[in-house]
Amino acid sequence: MSAAATHTVTPLTRPGGSPFHRIGWHCRHNPKRELWLAWWTTVVFYQLFFVVFFVITRTQPPPNPGWDTPRVVQWFHNHHNGLLIGFAIMFVITGMTAASNALIAYSMRRMSVSPAFGYSYLVLYSLSAVPGMLLLCLVLTVGALRPDRDPELIQWLYDFAFLSFSGTMGVFLIGSLVWMAAILIDKHGVLPKWFGYLNLCNALTEVVVAPAWIFHRGVFAWNGLICWWINMVVFGIYTGAFIVLLRQMIQREDFGTGPLPDLATTKELDRSGDAAVAR
Amino acid sequence: MTDLAGAGSPPHDVDGRLAAKDGDKTAKFVPGQPDMWAFVLFETLIFTGYFSVYLFQRAQHPESFLHAQNQLDLRIGVVNTIVLLASSWSVARCVEAARAGAFRQASRNAFLTVVFALVFLASKVCEWVLQIHRGNGITSSEFFTYYFFLTGIHFLHLLIGFVVLGVVIYQLRSPARRSQNLIETGATYWHTVDFLWVLIFALLYVVR
Amino acid sequence: MSDIGINDAHGAESGRPALRRIDGELILWWTLPAVAIIWASAFVLFPGFTPPMSPTMSAEQVASFYRDPHNLSRIRASMILFNWFCVGLIPVLILIVMQIRRMAHRTPIFSYCMLGCVAGGPTLFLTANICWLLAGFRPERSPELTQMFNDLAWITFTSQVPFLIAQSVILALAIYVDDQPRPVFPRWVAHFNLLVAAALVPAAFVALSLSGPLAWDGALSFWLKNIAIAVWIVVMGAVLGQAIRRERADYRQRVEQDVPV
Repeated sequence: MSAAATHTVTPLTRPGGSPFHRIGWHCRHNPKRELWLAWWTTVVFYQLFFVVFFVITRTQPPPNPGWDTPRVVQWFHNHHNGLLIGFAIMFVITGMTAASNALIAYSMRRMSVSPAFGYSYLVLYSLSAVPGMLLLCLVLTVGALRPDRDPELIQWLYDFAFLSFSGTMGVFLIGSLVWMAAILIDKHGVLPKWFGYLNLCNALTEVVVAPAWIFHRGVFAWNGLICWWINMVVFGIYTGAFIVLLRQMIQREDFGTGPLPDLATTKELDRSGDAAVAR
Repeated sequence: MTDLAGAGSPPHDVDGRLAAKDGDKTAKFVPGQPDMWAFVLFETLIFTGYFSVYLFQRAQHPESFLHAQNQLDLRIGVVNTIVLLASSWSVARCVEAARAGAFRQASRNAFLTVVFALVFLASKVCEWVLQIHRGNGITSSEFFTYYFFLTGIHFLHLLIGFVVLGVVIYQLRSPARRSQNLIETGATYWHTVDFLWVLIFALLYVVR
Repeated sequence: MSDIGINDAHGAESGRPALRRIDGELILWWTLPAVAIIWASAFVLFPGFTPPMSPTMSAEQVASFYRDPHNLSRIRASMILFNWFCVGLIPVLILIVMQIRRMAHRTPIFSYCMLGCVAGGPTLFLTANICWLLAGFRPERSPELTQMFNDLAWITFTSQVPFLIAQSVILALAIYVDDQPRPVFPRWVAHFNLLVAAALVPAAFVALSLSGPLAWDGALSFWLKNIAIAVWIVVMGAVLGQAIRRERADYRQRVEQDVPV
């Protein structure tokens, strides 16, 4: 790939005109279209995830583990339609997580570190979707499927769902540490060091959530102030940060094998390139 | 043996301090990577969140918290605090020595820091075992839930600190690798570990 | 294993062809017909598929289905077969990943996406399989429990199509973006994959009703989904075989040309 990238490429004029025309042009000619496709898929996925979990199914913020069995059955009854429809949507779109993982693995490939980091991350996060999210969707769907099921079984399904969702810690813990190590050792400056440290914060949230497996009430329960609310704030900041940083990485990408140029340089080159062609 | 500082020291800038190897202009404003300071700030914010929750819960049930707190031995807490403060002192000496180019001395101070940290680690584990033997586990009372959680999460930061000290020592060992920036970054992290402990000590042991 | 990002399509420009190792790929390809036959046999063997069990069966009916000694041995045999071989198509899926690598892409993003999907699909099939085996392990247990395991198995089996949909969409996009005079896969394969992805979507909505076309024994969730998967396996198998054979012919040609160096 490096041999092909050393010869100069004439800058392409970006067209004006209607948004559809421009998007169509980018889909056909932009050399970074694959990266942008992955990035937009990630953004769309997280938006849909938020809508499904927080609005349609209302499984986040999570309900109380301390409820007694009749109250849990009542919760299923109240959320019946939302659960079935919302999770059906998840059963169609979960594959989009592959794009997010691919883009992050790509960021590690662009770094000066061994490809082992990217592959490790890809494997870890690819298998994280099943226990860490799909189990909840699947189990709550089965719970809502037959409202006349034995209440004890419904409570078991309720516990299984929420504990598997919040309590699947290892994959995200190790995955974040892998990305952190790659960023801190990287000499190409693909992602800033502060984001490497933010990965550590994200990994630590996976440790902080461990008491959720022990407590039914209070701040350390799966819906508690410490195990859910503070953790969600950290996770939200983390996700927002990496979406923005990956966007910048794509903008800076020069398909070379050395350090990534920083954003100011890239924007100048783009502007001077456009000006040269316009003349 | 010839003075290592004379043989391998990088150029000094006008102030007589080592020019930052990474050429980072902002290194003159904060020691070490500014990214580490951002991390420190963020972690402190999160811990402040935990402390606020603890204080709020404590205000709700003052008697039960007080009763449980009496089970803690203040002396062990004081000793732990002194040990960590000493480790902060030794890591600061290490940074100063590295700045002056005295890398052997810096290495010694870094190892001293590790020793202090191990003392803290051992004492913490002993204290936990003691409390559990007395019947105070993580689920036995609300205070002890917070106790084990806060000291546990701090302990984890301490373990990460060992990795950081390892990086610092690795940097000091070979002239090819000495990055003042990285050493200062490591020291910043270590000071944070100490700082967080002082807060935890104040909250759990002292405030009654 | 060579770095997954190095793109063979640009190899010719640098003067020296970057020959990737392709030994053994035909052997892996032949696992496809073998696994397909085993899957088809297990599918027919399982009494719950022929005909598909109805979600409207009561707990007692489900329990008696699993307790019937005639059924039980067939359930266990077919599910054990599935347990052995449900991940059997992974090598073939990886062969597809290898072909995506050969396409004229600037980045390995599509092959990474595909890798991610390959990990997810068989895991879910395995989960469903375990639930069926559990249901059949102690048939004398409470009918409610047996029904719950049966539900878990069926819902997992039917609704866990997201990675299959993503696989097909990614493959289609990768083919559309493969800008070379002789693309690795012909264009119609991309259209076909999009069609298959669309055919799999209704199965995600299986839990919305216990009877009718969307239920797990219905026309959309059972027949359309499983037929779509079967057709995909057959078509992709053939197309993949063609692509591999062509690559091997090209490889032999390049090796012959390279000899004087």
